[in-house]
Parts: sequence; structure tokens; C-alpha cells
Amino acid sequence: MQEIIYSPTDFVAVVNQTLEYAYPRVIIEGELANFRISKNRWVYFDLKDENANVSFFGTIYQLPGPLEDGLMVRSVGTPRLHPRFGFSVNLESLVPVGEGALKKASDLLYKKLDKEGLFDPKRKRPLPIAPRKIGLITAAKSAAYSDFVKILNERWGGVEILFADVYVQGDKAPLQLAGAIEYFNQSEQPEVLVITRGGGGAEDLAAFNDERVVRAVAASRAPTLVAIGHEVDISLAELAADVRASTPSNAAQILVPDRHHELSLLTQKQQGIQKFLEQEFTRQDQQLKDSRSRVQGSLEQLFSGEIERLTNYRRLVSLFDPKAALRRGYAIVVKGQTYIRSVKQVKNKDRLSVRLSDGTIQAEVIKASNNG
Amino acid sequence: MVEPAKKTTKNYQELSSQLNEILEWFESENLDLDKAVAKYEQATKLLADMENYLKNTQNKVKKISARFES
Repeated sequence: MQEIIYSPTDFVAVVNQTLEYAYPRVIIEGELANFRISKNRWVYFDLKDENANVSFFGTIYQLPGPLEDGLMVRSVGTPRLHPRFGFSVNLESLVPVGEGALKKASDLLYKKLDKEGLFDPKRKRPLPIAPRKIGLITAAKSAAYSDFVKILNERWGGVEILFADVYVQGDKAPLQLAGAIEYFNQSEQPEVLVITRGGGGAEDLAAFNDERVVRAVAASRAPTLVAIGHEVDISLAELAADVRASTPSNAAQILVPDRHHELSLLTQKQQGIQKFLEQEFTRQDQQLKDSRSRVQGSLEQLFSGEIERLTNYRRLVSLFDPKAALRRGYAIVVKGQTYIRSVKQVKNKDRLSVRLSDGTIQAEVIKASNNG
Repeated sequence: MVEPAKKTTKNYQELSSQLNEILEWFESENLDLDKAVAKYEQATKLLADMENYLKNTQNKVKKISARFES
């Protein structure tokens, strides 16, 4: 059997071919060591245990956030023999493993993003009331999806739910979640983005502590409502969201009003308007009554004034009545057809008629003299 | 009698803010009875539309077919 002699280039090519065939994708779990970032882009680290070290190479875009040596992580990648730098695994994705590592990684990311102000309460925007178009990001077959939609349907109507079916846990979850947030902001522009999943262990929820997801939530132009159904630690995505809900159902409750409550408010409003209208009718009616009584009062005053004036006239007129004067003892002296007003109108022997109230005296002038 | 509500093209918030304007008008000092009757009719129509919206409007789910991993 003839032995094959390779050139270094050929040997590297053959090894890579073999690796590609035998180990197209490997998952290695170990303690992070010699972690370093070069030129703010390239990432180098080892995963080690008591007996071995495996080198990894990747970019910062594949990391879930800041990391440090000593963390237990699970890395997915492709083993490769580099023509110059030797063996390493080309990183595809990496997640911290175990509660301690997850907590540590989340703390590191919190510190980093907090410094940048991503969790600042001043950044929080209010959600629109009863939005008509929302983006929903969750897994289609999850209880989170059915709970959210069920409660939303119970409470409100007329909402267009644009639904992005994504992984909410596992290797693909961070990129899918971040990608869906970006998609909605670029393409659909919903009024609110709801990102939700049910509860789970720390590893299940790791995607919501991933830097790419947290940054996407914070950068979203549409206000965000993040609801992760768990009791203990709040995820960083929730901290970065404009509003946080405790469960998917709670997210629906926060997002839209309750139609039954709204219907009872409408009844109250209707009663309020009716009351206003009735009050206005009563007020106008009273005004009408007041006006009527004012007109009546004025007329009565006018009449009584006129009656008084008439009485005075009557009294005045009666003073001029000659008969009244005759009754008081005065007399009218007539000579022929002439009323006598002066002694100068008569001479002795003139025959005069002296009219009194009850009759006439025929008389003759004996003497006429002036007064005094 | 209130006429049966027709399908409205306005959203609930628009209807609600129109109703609130009328309510504010009713709460103002000087009411004109003729206007009040007209506003009342307007409010009754709005209320019917809003009730119709609350009782009959459904939500629609549209699944996005795009891929998000890029």
C-alpha cells in the first residue's frame, strides 16, 4: 500500500473535507477561557474542562452579550483547520449554561446597557389606547399566543394582529426575535409591538437576556410591550421595553380596554347627556314661566296705572259739571239766550232766568252793582 | 327611536373623542336648547355606532410570511 504524501495545503483541505463530512456542526459545552475581542469585531476564546481546551473563533454578532472567563457556555459551530492558525471551531451561536452563568451574563449585559441608558425610565413611551394595528411576536403553537389572542378577543375588537411566528427559546431565538422586531419597524409599522412567551427556566428565557434582542426592543420605533410569564428575575428585554406585563394574558389586558366596562361607561355617558338635556328643558321652561309672569306683571301695572289716571280724570271732569255746581248752591243767570257773567250785562227791569239745581226762578233786576 | 347602527368606518377612538366633545359642550355654561337637541341626536348616533363597534367588531390575525433570521 502506497502512502499518500500531502502538501500542507492539500492536507488542510482533506482534513476540512473530512471534518465537514464527519462533524458538520458540533455543540460543545465548557468553561469559557482566554476570551478576547479584537478590533471590536473578532472574537477568540477557548472552551475547557479538566483535560482539554478547544479554540473558537467568531464575531461579536454571534454573542448573546458581554462575557467573561469562567462562565459555563454552550457553543455551536463548525470545526475547521485554518491554513495558518491551526484548528478552531467557527462559532455560530453561544449561550451561557446553568443558572449561575446565565445570571452572571445577564448581570454583565445589564451593566453595559444600563450605562448606555437603555433602561432609563425617561425613555419609556406610553402605549396607544386601543390600538388598531399591532405586531405580535411569539411562537405560534405556544400557550402565550393562544392566551394573548383569547384575552384580546374577549376584551376588544377591530385590532389587526400582524403575527410573526418565531422561536422564543434555543439557538435561533435571539436572531429571530431581533429580526422580527426589525421587520415590523421597517415593513409594517404597527402601533405597538407585543413580544411575549410563557414562563420557563432560566435557560428557556435566555433569549430575552440576549444583547441583540434587548437592543432591538430598545431601538424599536413602535412602542414595545414585553410579557414573559415568570415570577422571579425580570429579563433585560422587559426592562428595555416601554411597558412590561407579567403574562401574555396580562399583556392583552394592558393593551386594550375591556368592552364590557366600556359599554357600561357608554350607558353612563348616555344617561349624563339625557340628564343635561332634561335639565336644559326644565331651565328653559322655568325661563318661559318667568317671562310670562314678568309680562303679566308689567301689563297689570300698566292697567292699574291707567285706571288710576282715569279715576283722576273722572274726578276732574266732575268738577266742571255745571249741575254739580248748581247742587252746591250756585246758580246760572240767563237773559234771553245769554249767560250772564257780569253785572254790566244787565240793567234795571231786565227780566232774568235764574236756574238752580231743582228749577228756574224768573226774576227782575232791581239793582246791579259791582262787588265791594 | 334610535336607528339601527350602520357599519362605521371610524375607529373607536375617533368616535369616543367626538362623543367627549359633545359631553364637554353639554357641560359648558350657556346651552342653546335648539343646539342641545341637535347635539343630543348626534350623541345618540355616536353612542349607537360605539355600541355596535364594541359588540360586533372582531380582531383579525394575519401571519407574516417573512423570515426573520437575517
